[in-house]
Amino acid sequence: MAGLGKFLIRRGLTFIPTLIGVTLIVFIIAYVIPANPVRAWAGGEKASQAAIEMIKKEYHLDQPWYDQYWFLVKGLFTNSLLDPLNQEPVFNNIGNRFIVTFQLALFAFFFVILIGLPLGIISALKRNSATDMTLRIIALIFISTPIYVIAYLFIWLFFIHWNATTLAGIPPGPPHTITHIPVIDDILTLDWSNFVQQVERFWLPGFTLGIAAAGVLMRFTRNSFLEAYSRDSTLFLKAKGVPKSRLYRHVLKNALVPVITILALQFGGLLAGTPITETIFNLPGIGLYALQAIMYLDFPALIGVTFLYAIVFVTANLIADILYVIIDPRVRL
Amino acid sequence: MPEPIVEIKNLSVYFYTYAGVVKAIEDVSFDIYRGETLALVGETGCGKSVTSRAITKLIESPGKIVNGQVIYHRDDGSTVDLLKLSDEGIREIRGNEIAYIFQDPHSSLDPLYTVGYQIGEAMEVHGKVRNIKEGIAKAVNILREVLIPDPENRVKNYPHELSGGMKQRVVIGIGVANNPRLLIADEPTTALDVTVQAQILELLNELKRKYNATVLLITHNLGVVAETAQRVVVMYAGKVVEIGTVDQIFHNPLHPYTTALLRAVPNPLGKIEKLESIPGTVPNLITPPKGCRFHPRCPFAEERCRKEVPKLKEIEPGHFVACHRY
Repeated sequence: MAGLGKFLIRRGLTFIPTLIGVTLIVFIIAYVIPANPVRAWAGGEKASQAAIEMIKKEYHLDQPWYDQYWFLVKGLFTNSLLDPLNQEPVFNNIGNRFIVTFQLALFAFFFVILIGLPLGIISALKRNSATDMTLRIIALIFISTPIYVIAYLFIWLFFIHWNATTLAGIPPGPPHTITHIPVIDDILTLDWSNFVQQVERFWLPGFTLGIAAAGVLMRFTRNSFLEAYSRDSTLFLKAKGVPKSRLYRHVLKNALVPVITILALQFGGLLAGTPITETIFNLPGIGLYALQAIMYLDFPALIGVTFLYAIVFVTANLIADILYVIIDPRVRL
Repeated sequence: MPEPIVEIKNLSVYFYTYAGVVKAIEDVSFDIYRGETLALVGETGCGKSVTSRAITKLIESPGKIVNGQVIYHRDDGSTVDLLKLSDEGIREIRGNEIAYIFQDPHSSLDPLYTVGYQIGEAMEVHGKVRNIKEGIAKAVNILREVLIPDPENRVKNYPHELSGGMKQRVVIGIGVANNPRLLIADEPTTALDVTVQAQILELLNELKRKYNATVLLITHNLGVVAETAQRVVVMYAGKVVEIGTVDQIFHNPLHPYTTALLRAVPNPLGKIEKLESIPGTVPNLITPPKGCRFHPRCPFAEERCRKEVPKLKEIEPGHFVACHRY
């Protein structure tokens, strides 16, 4: 594990071009849209010319594009970029919403792993049997059913029929905050009553959001496991007289390497998939905020959200890279 | 009279594929004598590897051992049919009394574990050491035995940190870790550099002498056969065509296929105008030729060869051939 610090620094440096790239692309897209955001921000068709001029000046819209970009990025890093719709700094608007969304994605991710990994492995172990067939069909249903169908089906089942969840409001976090993500803080501070409240509110939306990704992970794990199983090294383990359970341990470890990549990508995908889930389950998250920002041509907000998503995405990939290093000795730092 | 360690009797292995049933080997019988090096030769796809793996039931689906017996004679004189053993029974023999060395060392080792772990594991699963820690400690001695320099540090290396020759030494180390009675080496030098091949063969010969083991050497390299083996089994298209001592096979080959195979080896001393080859191609084993499987490529083929399957006949002591000409 020598050199992990160096590796982290080097990987950290690659964050910079990634983030510049992401913000630049969003900026360029916003810049080339033939709409006039200023009029929208100033209040639509009835906006006075004076107000428009003022907003133009405030957001450097009368300046060349690089100056505008610099103004946006500087604003993001100093949190001085104001949301034109309510004159609050962008990250103040995003903050609490992001916590809701992040927690939602965490729940979804939990279900993805809980469902996808074991069922994928069972499917591989019982390959080409009735069990395997059934599991593969279930995975296909998970993947291909639209999320709004699953969501309302689950609400009907778990809320209306069995009353196993709450659908209104957001339970407050625990009194003692460490990471600002309520469930994580609950676990860290052993606050089980608040933990139960959070789970009651978030498990169903998380389950709904995660189910498609769980289907993908199931099939991927199955194939990865079978691929690892069919290698010569597995036959050689058998020729060595290694018992089944231990043989599967080798296979599983080999199969896990590509699965980690998929998991990291899926975490990013879950974050991006939240708007529909948040709308249906009435969660005040960032997905809804981003959708509204798009509708109102609220580019400062949009660039803030994208920036945050990008950070989460590259962090998830960084964690995947670190896991690689731990599992696979061929990956050197 | 040499005493057999393994008798293979009427062994047939089929692969049930979508294209049809591939009769990979059919009615294969030969003995392996205690203490000898027996070479199993033939072209790629003739069933050498399948035969060697079927000895300890190492046949994966869609393959199936459909017929035959593999009688194993233990050191204490008792015998057992390996094909009738339970999964656990055969597992206790694999890697312990009968060990394997595979062809490609780059793919036989698990890339995620150190070589010391993988050698130690071979001993641990057969109860030769109490735990993996002790196994890894003992692996140092094994690495030294297979002539890997600096074994104390190499034991902590991962397979990708070693060269091909080194990896094959590790694989051989795994093979001999439990002092096996029979070592099955499946083309142990094919995937290696020519300069390393001789070293690996030398190592195998030395370990065989030291442990007084029996070796079944699978190869298509007749030079290797002449150098290391005492007896030879020649296979063609899933059948045994000739069995004899190295002397008998090289100086008095009886089967037209053996003759052709020997002719195809270039003589490095003479000037070679053209490489000899055997006309025709290896038959499809889903619908193998009727009668003698070699008849479509055989210069001496006659009516009988197309209809009747030739049986192995002993022509001189220890020299068997399956051909209608004798």
